[in-house]
Amino acid sequence: MCGIAALFSYGADASPVDALEIKAITERMRPRGPDAGGTWISPDHRVALGARRLAIIDLSAEGTQPMTDVRGELHIVFNGEIYNYRELRARLEHLGAQFHSQTDTEVLLELFRRDGAAMVDLLRGMFAFAIWDSRSRQMFVARDPYGIKPLYVADDGQTFRAASTVKALLAGGRIAREHDPAGVAGFWLMGSVPEPFTMFRSIRSVEAGTAFFVGEQGVAQIRQYYSVAAALHRGVHDEAAARLVQPHVLLRELISDSLRHHLVSDVPVGAFLSAGIDSSALVALATEAAGQPPRTVTLRFDEFQGMHSDEAPLAARYARQIGSEHVTRLVTRDEFRGDMPKLFDAMDQPTIDGTNTWFVSKAAAERGLKVAISGLGGDELFGSYPSFKDLPRLIAAARLPLAAATAGRLSRNPKAQAVARYGRTWEGAYLLKRGLFLPEDLPELMGTDAAREGLERLSILTRMRVAIEPDPGTPFGRVAALEASLYMRNQLLRDTDWASMAHSLEVRTPLVDATLLRQIAPLLMVEKQRCKAHFARSPREPLPDFLTHRKKSGFSVPLAEWMELPADGTSMRMRSWARVVMEQWA
Amino acid sequence: MRILHIGTDSFGGYGGIALYNRELIAAMASHPSVDEVVVLPRIIVGPLEPVPAKVTFVTKAARGRLAYLNAVRGAGRRFDLVVCAHVNLLPIARLAARHPLLVIYGIEAWKPLRDPWSNRLIRRIRGVVSISDITLDRFAGWSQYKGPSALLPNSIRREWYGIRPTNQNLQARYGLAGKRVLMTLGRVVAAERYKGFDEVLDVLPTLDADISYVIAGAGNDVRRLKHKAISLGVAERVVFTGMVTEEEKADLYNLADLYVMPSRGEGFGFVFLEALACGVPVVASRLDGGREAVRLGELGQLVDPTSRGEIRMAILDALGSGKKKSIPEGLEFFSFENFERRTHTIIDSFTANA
Repeated sequence: MCGIAALFSYGADASPVDALEIKAITERMRPRGPDAGGTWISPDHRVALGARRLAIIDLSAEGTQPMTDVRGELHIVFNGEIYNYRELRARLEHLGAQFHSQTDTEVLLELFRRDGAAMVDLLRGMFAFAIWDSRSRQMFVARDPYGIKPLYVADDGQTFRAASTVKALLAGGRIAREHDPAGVAGFWLMGSVPEPFTMFRSIRSVEAGTAFFVGEQGVAQIRQYYSVAAALHRGVHDEAAARLVQPHVLLRELISDSLRHHLVSDVPVGAFLSAGIDSSALVALATEAAGQPPRTVTLRFDEFQGMHSDEAPLAARYARQIGSEHVTRLVTRDEFRGDMPKLFDAMDQPTIDGTNTWFVSKAAAERGLKVAISGLGGDELFGSYPSFKDLPRLIAAARLPLAAATAGRLSRNPKAQAVARYGRTWEGAYLLKRGLFLPEDLPELMGTDAAREGLERLSILTRMRVAIEPDPGTPFGRVAALEASLYMRNQLLRDTDWASMAHSLEVRTPLVDATLLRQIAPLLMVEKQRCKAHFARSPREPLPDFLTHRKKSGFSVPLAEWMELPADGTSMRMRSWARVVMEQWA
Repeated sequence: MRILHIGTDSFGGYGGIALYNRELIAAMASHPSVDEVVVLPRIIVGPLEPVPAKVTFVTKAARGRLAYLNAVRGAGRRFDLVVCAHVNLLPIARLAARHPLLVIYGIEAWKPLRDPWSNRLIRRIRGVVSISDITLDRFAGWSQYKGPSALLPNSIRREWYGIRPTNQNLQARYGLAGKRVLMTLGRVVAAERYKGFDEVLDVLPTLDADISYVIAGAGNDVRRLKHKAISLGVAERVVFTGMVTEEEKADLYNLADLYVMPSRGEGFGFVFLEALACGVPVVASRLDGGREAVRLGELGQLVDPTSRGEIRMAILDALGSGKKKSIPEGLEFFSFENFERRTHTIIDSFTANA
């Protein structure tokens, strides 16, 4: 896990790369990689690479980046983890490759040498990397299937720049800071900036599951090698395989396999534990896989004491049951207020979420952990969000014109009034369900002209439509694809990245795993929401009733109380919080 | 010592379970302390192979359900060990013994049985002999069985196979001269769409044009796969052999450059042993019993059957290796002698405290 940067002056009129710029970009990411850092500049000064390293696998200096292959032809900066690197290495060694370190980074280099761009099809993990191939004078850039690890790029037609964070790219001092109305509009609509947009016109996010080359003509051959919708679509046609094995047994096999891969580490791996099924079952399976329970961490807030949303007591009870070394960490309003400047500094792009991950990561880091597993992704995988029930109902209602019109007239809720307008399609219904504000609200929030331009370029409904192509075939599959490709990617995963990396903690998400989704998709298509109960049964000691019978609650923090946010028509007062967040980007 | 074998098919049977049972019966009969093995086959579909010494093969048991029931009743209870060689026969085996030894193979034991009574009978068995770890895990996963168990993987008689000169007639029949040949052998039926035929077909368009794919086997899914091959533009590169006779099987394997079966429903995958015994390298699945047939990668490559990228790369690696065909030494692990030794150990352990 690291922060990476790359510069490539590919244009004929481009200036040579600037050593100070790559250093400034890299230095801005120091918290992401406190253990080591370095830069590399090509002899002709057309390419520069930089990295900060959080050492997790092969803690020796051999793992330092930027890394060069044994022949001195390939150079890489890599952020993330390749969980199947040992299998890949064994294959490459069998084919004659030689290695000088025990790192997954070096495996990427040799894999590129062997398989070229097709290498991404073989990777299991979370990653963003850039490989400079001095033979072909091309840079190969790739990002993982789900978009767990971030990568941002700026391309002015002469020089290509890439870095793990938007703020690091800006720190290089060569990129214009003009706001992008599409990114701003996206934030107001969704509470996070939808990729590929950012808050700045000159910076784009590399889209999840894509890879491309940058040559002397600039960016070329962008290939989308993975999509959640395609994996679910294929699952529909593979049901025979899902029906062979008892669901909880198959889940146990496949998720344990994912966990075994996610536990690969040369430092101890801890876990976030809530009172929910996903984190608890993961901790139980991790205990079986590792032979001992991981150290676990839960947050507690005085404001939630005695309420359903207080997960601390049940989490502690389960931790006692499995014998984990557990910490319940109290977070107070004063601590939050004191952390706010640091939190906003670490927040790479505006978002209404991430405070929860900030504090649980802080608590894990305080315990000396560098790696923690999280149950993130379980709700998207097993259909636990209300949207899985609400979207089909919304669409059904919207397609009855009289019902939709009546609901709109009778309700003062602006979303209810918009059902007839948006609710007839999956993408429209999703915007209604997940939207923070509606497009009609944007002129007031960002000005008429900016809103018009932003909405036009953002094309939010089209982007949502793409997330369910090819059609996953069932309502369950469509909502799963929408949630995983939009909310989880643009909000949960991105927030987890900045909020954990600010504390030099690597969060691993065994339920957000492209290999697992491919393998499990047929079962999901057959069992749908029942998979959650199967998952609770999957450990050798099934989860206790006090966890499985508990009504689901989100992983929330008492922001409304801490910030004394004014009522805004939402239960968590997230619209008010969004205004506070956006002030930081003014 | 007398052993009663209650099974679906063995001598005169066709397919993987019949073959396994023939080997099991022969291995049991060769145990020095065994005086007789009485075999009650539920079905006989073909000519009988030679029955080993000490084996009493009761052909009349296969004349129908009633006949089978009568045969089990008539066998009496004076057996030191009753082997129930199919989980569906547990209720009948119960007539011959309170605590039979259950043998499990694959998908028949991966989910609960249809009638609850059979499920309850599992609590009373003497033990379980499983063809593979994955079958045992999946069986224990739903049944909560925690009693004694033993592994008994398939055996291979290497002398029946071997690296042979190309059978020119066979090669001409399938138009494989000058081609690099991928092969999968198995039943091609719609209800078993987990053999991996589709997965190999999917990657075929991305492979060189001189690579052909032989689908060896018959069934009601051939038509669909032919249409699929046409829609993928590879129809001329795909050969459907139909039913393969035992006589031609070894020659057919010998036509292959690579045996590929990225399946999800194999309890073990005897076909991998057959291909290896013909010197053909194999690509097996990481997600079913195939991984145990290739000893977790020692005897062949493993792939995730859901990953077209992995399948493609494994094929390219194998075809590009330039190695001469050879029978791996590790195949000895599955020799009949080892199978026999394991069977004897199982008999000893399950009769010691009976």
